[in-house]
Amino acid sequence: MTAEPAIATLVLGLLIGYVGQRSRMCFIGGVRDFMLVRDGELLKGLLAFFVTAWTAFAVAGLMGLLGDGWSRGGLSVAAAGWTVGLLAQGWMLAIAVVAGFAVGLFSVFANGCPFRQHVLAAQGDGNAALYLAGFYGGILIYGLVLVRLASRLLTG
Amino acid sequence: MTGRFRPNAVHYGVVAGLGAVAVEAFFGVRQPSAYGVCMACHGQDLVGWFTNHLVGTHLAISPDASAAPLLTTVGVFLGAGAAAARNGELRWRRVMGSPLASLLLGALIAVFALIVAGCPTRLWLRLAYGDPAAVAAVPALVLGVVAGTAVLRRRAA
Repeated sequence: MTAEPAIATLVLGLLIGYVGQRSRMCFIGGVRDFMLVRDGELLKGLLAFFVTAWTAFAVAGLMGLLGDGWSRGGLSVAAAGWTVGLLAQGWMLAIAVVAGFAVGLFSVFANGCPFRQHVLAAQGDGNAALYLAGFYGGILIYGLVLVRLASRLLTG
Repeated sequence: MTGRFRPNAVHYGVVAGLGAVAVEAFFGVRQPSAYGVCMACHGQDLVGWFTNHLVGTHLAISPDASAAPLLTTVGVFLGAGAAAARNGELRWRRVMGSPLASLLLGALIAVFALIVAGCPTRLWLRLAYGDPAAVAAVPALVLGVVAGTAVLRRRAA
């Protein structure tokens, strides 16, 4: 119950926002650029992110710096569980596949992942600003309407 | 401003990868696991924190955001704005195409990202962590991107 996570995420956000603007990093743009124009730049960024995080997680896990999620074999079904909150495991996997696919598909149409959209909006892109309005509106709708609806349906 | 160091995507990957693990290992952003960076979930924690405090709702947010909201999304916005301003790239670009389409895409992506419990950044982070659900979600994400790009290519042709 401290403000430490708030400060840490603000600092990390500032840092990756800055570097992300300079590098034009996007988490869906790598595959798109490679397919369209054989440009592997963003794909290299994605790979660097994955390899770095994987290594750092392994080291932090061995040093006992991670929570009990690691000792449970990294099973974060509980993690997804508090967001989805309501779904049985098999269903959750099927839904994760559908939702993951949708995030990728729509992000191509939107011209960038959510991270990239925040960067674009910050540098003055009108479409990205509208996207963010929809994004935060969607978050609110999800919490206020969809989660309640789903819980009512599932608990009968 | 020639000659100034310009970070590339690989630099970003290393910085963000280390940072995402560091906030979890050292700064208490650990509920759930692999939660260091997420534009959707942290956005939810931010919006939820304010709505809960201002309007008295009981929206679910991460326990780590109970005292103060997670500020990743705000930080990214400000950091990117600062980078753009410092390098003469801060300028208004008017809306192209349908405004409603941008709005709807934003809303749809937010909802689907919250359902799968991660924006693309966090899905890759969860895969790096070893989350079995991400082993299913990340290939689905990539397949979605491939499908979307194929549609773009067909439209352009």
